Amino acid sequence: MTARILVIDDDTALSEMIGIVLQGDGFNLGFCADGSLALETFRTEKPDLVLLDLMLPGLDGIEVCRLIRAESGVPIIMLTARSDTTDVVKGLESGADDYMVKPFNPKELVARIRTRLRPPAADGALALRIGDLVVNAVGHEVTRGTVAINLTPLEFDLLLALASKPQQVFTREMLLEQVWGYHYKADTRLVNVHVQRLRAKVEHDPDNPKIVMTVRGVGYRAGAVS
Amino acid sequence: MVPITVTQLTYRRGLRNWPRLVRASWRSSLQFRTVTISVALSGVAILMVGVYMSVSIGNDLFQSRLSQVLLESDRATSAAQSLFDSSDATDRVQVQNLLSAARTSISATSSSRLVAVLRVPGQEPSTVAPLDSSTFGQSTGVIGSDLRTEVQANSGDQFWQSVTLTGDDATTSPGIVVGSQITVPVAGRYELYIAYSLQEAEATLLFVQQTLGVAGVALVLLIGAVSWIVVRFVVTPLRVAAETSQKLASGDLEVRLPEKGEDVIATLARSFNGMADSLQSQIRELADLSEVQQRFVSDVSHELRTPLTTIRLAGDVLYDQRANFPPATGRTAELLHTQVERFELLLSDLLEISRYDAGSVELESEPTNLVYLAEDAINSLRSLADTKGSDLRLVAPGGYLNADVDPRRIRRVLHNLIGNAIEHGEGKPVVVSVDSDANAVALAVRDYGLGMSQAEVAHVFDRFWRADPSRQRTIGGTGLGLAISREDASVHNGWLQVWSQPGEGSCFRLTLPRTARGLLESSPLPLPPDDTPTMPAEPGEDGHLPARGGGPHE
Repeated sequence: MTARILVIDDDTALSEMIGIVLQGDGFNLGFCADGSLALETFRTEKPDLVLLDLMLPGLDGIEVCRLIRAESGVPIIMLTARSDTTDVVKGLESGADDYMVKPFNPKELVARIRTRLRPPAADGALALRIGDLVVNAVGHEVTRGTVAINLTPLEFDLLLALASKPQQVFTREMLLEQVWGYHYKADTRLVNVHVQRLRAKVEHDPDNPKIVMTVRGVGYRAGAVS
Repeated sequence: MVPITVTQLTYRRGLRNWPRLVRASWRSSLQFRTVTISVALSGVAILMVGVYMSVSIGNDLFQSRLSQVLLESDRATSAAQSLFDSSDATDRVQVQNLLSAARTSISATSSSRLVAVLRVPGQEPSTVAPLDSSTFGQSTGVIGSDLRTEVQANSGDQFWQSVTLTGDDATTSPGIVVGSQITVPVAGRYELYIAYSLQEAEATLLFVQQTLGVAGVALVLLIGAVSWIVVRFVVTPLRVAAETSQKLASGDLEVRLPEKGEDVIATLARSFNGMADSLQSQIRELADLSEVQQRFVSDVSHELRTPLTTIRLAGDVLYDQRANFPPATGRTAELLHTQVERFELLLSDLLEISRYDAGSVELESEPTNLVYLAEDAINSLRSLADTKGSDLRLVAPGGYLNADVDPRRIRRVLHNLIGNAIEHGEGKPVVVSVDSDANAVALAVRDYGLGMSQAEVAHVFDRFWRADPSRQRTIGGTGLGLAISREDASVHNGWLQVWSQPGEGSCFRLTLPRTARGLLESSPLPLPPDDTPTMPAEPGEDGHLPARGGGPHE
């Protein structure tokens, strides 16, 4: 099965070039050059992953990201020319899973895309417990009692990573490697923002987390099973 | 014993420390100083006026009393003499009576109880002449021999002398003794002395002096109070101005002085406010300018990066297929690939440095273990070091506790320094040291390569400066690496310093405060490094460091 990727970027030369690179790696491509048409295109294309430029005519990339995230958990990788704090954090908070700063390396792009598309490793246990949640690795489901909690694939990966080793304290770097596939020091803000998004969905009180616990100065670990 | 409370103790200590307190007030309070000076000066002036007045009044009192006394004694003497002249006494008893009568008359005329009649010595002894008589009592001694000599020598003249009279009850008072000669019929010449007390005049003088003293003290106090009030009027606006300018200096640009009236204080307030206005507007202008600059940098960033991304992707596609091209085209694809990479690095370095220039850099500090950071940097550069044959070593006696730094920037600095050390290390070992003390952490990167001359060291942090233009570069630096590193250090309030000597290699030392707001005083690591054979006695003496090091004041 070839994955379908939607490239939302107003720079047609770049879109085309990305298309050439990704097609060379066996992906299916769709394109959209206007922010205001992005959501519509997304609905018709039904992509497996979205590459989204932050600066778009019509509708801002961050807004597009929010709209897509509102109806789908499909992985979104932002393309940005700015690595400044505010832009990146805004993009991540609006729901993007990862970001790439232009100019990027094509191999890096392909690697990022593959990481986001790969199914989570479901080794061993079928159902893991974390706090008062049950994480079903195979069914890709998180439930609290009988209520299912809707997580994006990335949030699920993050929770699964923590739940699979309840004794382990994960540094941000370890999570970056395990969940995002970075093998070198990357931006730890990725972890911070997504832990917050995850907490907002799974915690009873996100200010007083019981499931994704902070270990000050080190990183995060799974909350005790209750 | 009565227990002493703490307040009492403090009070006592305060009393004991009063010279220090006064000195401190003198230094710190303009008001205290002004009031003290005006009180002291006016006190001196009033004292001088008072002394002058009291002296001249005393003099005047004495003179008037003296002339009165002389007049009275003259009158008394004349009366006595005329009594004698008109008498016809011949025998001792008659003369005695005559003299008594004269004495009574003198006492009555001169209003003095102290009268002495002494026979002038050196006359023929006479049986008729009465003996000397005196009512001076205790004060007999006041008739001095000088006075007597003069009186004896000159008949008809008056002589006087200031004396201290002793009363019957041993009280003393100032007085005047007036002496003259009288001629008693039959008995011969006699000296007549009359003493007058100046007690009354003295009492008057004392009263005047007391009045002057009280008035003077009151005047000094009044002047003190007046100057205190006047100085207050001046000092209070000054104090307000001082406080306001302090606030302004500490960044509160909205503060202004109240402008009231037309006086010099109001002028001060107006010009101060004008200064603050222009300061504020200039700062605002600069802030606007910096914002424009930042936006420009950001826009350029976006506008350049998007086409560059396309070029990069295209170049990489061609590069991946270079084996299928004819040799010249294949080489072209290679060159395109490497130069696009170089262009990319240059662009990002340029953007970074312009971000520093625009002052739009924000630290993202987090607790960071610098030893781990150094290990990471070493590991990521090990393959480069291996190609150069350099042995990368980490020596970390300290630095294991977290420091509040921005790890991304420090990692960048480390990459830069270690990369440079490998590049210029001539295949000799490169040693990375980490150490820390209570306030600071330090990282030093030491190579044993060619080193640099003093002139080269002076330029090492300059933008686009290269140690040796002819030397082959392997990691393709942009020439901005050390300039950015130094900005990275100073944005942490840290130092990036260098020591180098031709033939001995170089050592770059990064010192960072442990906490975000800390200030550096010294570095835990030595520079020049300990292992230099020709180590100069004092760092900095030969200009190698740390002057050039991007210290906190550069």
